[in-house]
Amino acid sequence: MVAVRFHGRGGQGAKTASRILGTAAFLSGYVAQDSPIYGAERRGAPVAAFTRFSREPIRERGAITYPDVIVVADASLLDDATARVVDGMDDQTVLFVNSSLSTDALRAHLSLPEQMTVRDVTGIALQQLGQREAISALLGAVAARLVGLEWESVRLAITRELQDLAVTAPVIEKNLTVAKQCYDSSGPASLHKGRSQAISVAALHRPIYEPPTKGTARISAAGNSVLRETGGWRTFRPVLFADKCNGCWLCFAYCPDGVIAMNQEDRPVVDYAHCKGCQICVHECPTHALVAEREAEGGVAWTAK
Amino acid sequence: MWQRETFKKIKQIPREEHVMPGTALCAGCGGLEALRLAAKVLGDHVVYVNAAGCFTMLAAYPYSSFKGSWLYTTMGSAPAGAQGIRDALDVLIAKRRLPKSEDLKVIVLGGDGSTYDMALSATSGAMNRQLDFYYICYDNEAYGNTGMQLSPATPYAARTATSPCSLQHPAATMQEKKDIFEIWRAHRPPYIATVAPRYPLDLEEKFARAATFTGPKMFLALAACPTGWLYDPGATPEVAKLAVETGLWPLKEAVNGVVTHTYIPKRKPVEAYLRLQGRFRHLFEPTVQTDAIRHIQERVDAYWQQAAQEQA
Repeated sequence: MVAVRFHGRGGQGAKTASRILGTAAFLSGYVAQDSPIYGAERRGAPVAAFTRFSREPIRERGAITYPDVIVVADASLLDDATARVVDGMDDQTVLFVNSSLSTDALRAHLSLPEQMTVRDVTGIALQQLGQREAISALLGAVAARLVGLEWESVRLAITRELQDLAVTAPVIEKNLTVAKQCYDSSGPASLHKGRSQAISVAALHRPIYEPPTKGTARISAAGNSVLRETGGWRTFRPVLFADKCNGCWLCFAYCPDGVIAMNQEDRPVVDYAHCKGCQICVHECPTHALVAEREAEGGVAWTAK
Repeated sequence: MWQRETFKKIKQIPREEHVMPGTALCAGCGGLEALRLAAKVLGDHVVYVNAAGCFTMLAAYPYSSFKGSWLYTTMGSAPAGAQGIRDALDVLIAKRRLPKSEDLKVIVLGGDGSTYDMALSATSGAMNRQLDFYYICYDNEAYGNTGMQLSPATPYAARTATSPCSLQHPAATMQEKKDIFEIWRAHRPPYIATVAPRYPLDLEEKFARAATFTGPKMFLALAACPTGWLYDPGATPEVAKLAVETGLWPLKEAVNGVVTHTYIPKRKPVEAYLRLQGRFRHLFEPTVQTDAIRHIQERVDAYWQQAAQEQA
């Protein structure tokens, strides 16, 4: 059995990539399984998805604890403890990271496995598809190449999965062209198959339930969500060119998260530790004083203090 | 002619934030924007009673984004929870165990799944008992927190996870959006209003006006939803604006049952609104579904025709 775990930010396409891989494996004659993690899968928030495929029936269900391959759609997730990207990773794990940084730069502060590929898939998508975060087909293609699936089934899988999302034919065609490039320029990884993932019964715990007076999750602090930084959600950051700003307050009025404050000169001050990068301020700025710049990676991560 | 009295200029929007950042809500959430603006008028002396939904993520243990209090309930019971809190506050004040100056506003937060569907009877009961509370429905026209399944608030021809396009139904869902405003109005609460985040002054004014009434104060907020409606998060204000400008989302209020439209749009063709969103893309590609688009346009036209007649 081959187990692949995808990590991304909600909206990047990690879940669809896992579906593409699962479908491609199925079309290649494997038994396949794919599922996203169930939880608060928000745009920008860390998400994970799992694909398993095998020649034999797969009895395992649920999250993949010891993946053969880890596909990371956003390098900032590596720094994010809550995303648990490196869980179950060892020397034999094959790692793919979507990043504009070099392998060495990523290794500088994290010990990462031998078999590691880094490619700027977002850069390719921006250049060739002209859309931010539309990288599910590309990630799916790269993952399929790593695990050694044929292009024909990958092509069919991408077409089917994107059709399911009501993506139009011309856009699917463009995705296929770029996905093929990604597929061709990657090589198959050598997987260490047959690693047992069975959970021993002895390791299972019986949960202990507390009475409501003791066990209810009570929050005794007010407005402490500021301790949790969401700046790492961004793929683009709003940047102010102050000389163009006319002090109209629109960015402040429309910011859903309330992370834009107006200073004494009526100029916006963005709280980059919390700005999620939705770009509403950039869209609404009447004088184009706020512009979107692609986020440099390795900056603010989603950290709990 | 309806006029704003308190909020005339954009720079009157209070600077202070009451819903703190760091929440796990989606980037570009239209519902959060509506709540943030509302909270600027409501202040911090509040208890939010939150029906399960996307807004659950506003206070996910161990973090809360509210400076005031927050209580979590099931999807169907938030108005009942509000009744309990209101009664408790009243009893404490009557027994002089709580000074009147420390009284709190009780505010229900419910999504459209809760409001239009599961909590409808609890809401009806609370309105019937003239419970003194606020109700804010953030309406993104589907069960968003669980992955965009059809709700009674889903409009005609919107594609959701449970209303896909099919051979039998090429235009996706055939249901019409439930008119919750009129259902509420039949209960004659003192104040009902619809708001949209792209119209901040209209929204602020309505919350300021509601404060003068005792009893149920009901709000229906358009929660443009990039995740579920499938558009770029940066376009949330644009989508909300077109919802209003096409006439699909009328901005109105009902004071003791008397309806006033607070903004009369010039009514752009509905296509402008539909085209922006992935959930309606099947109406335009691969072939244009003229009948479905015309149906939506006719419903809007009929609504405004009737509104004009009633006004006259």
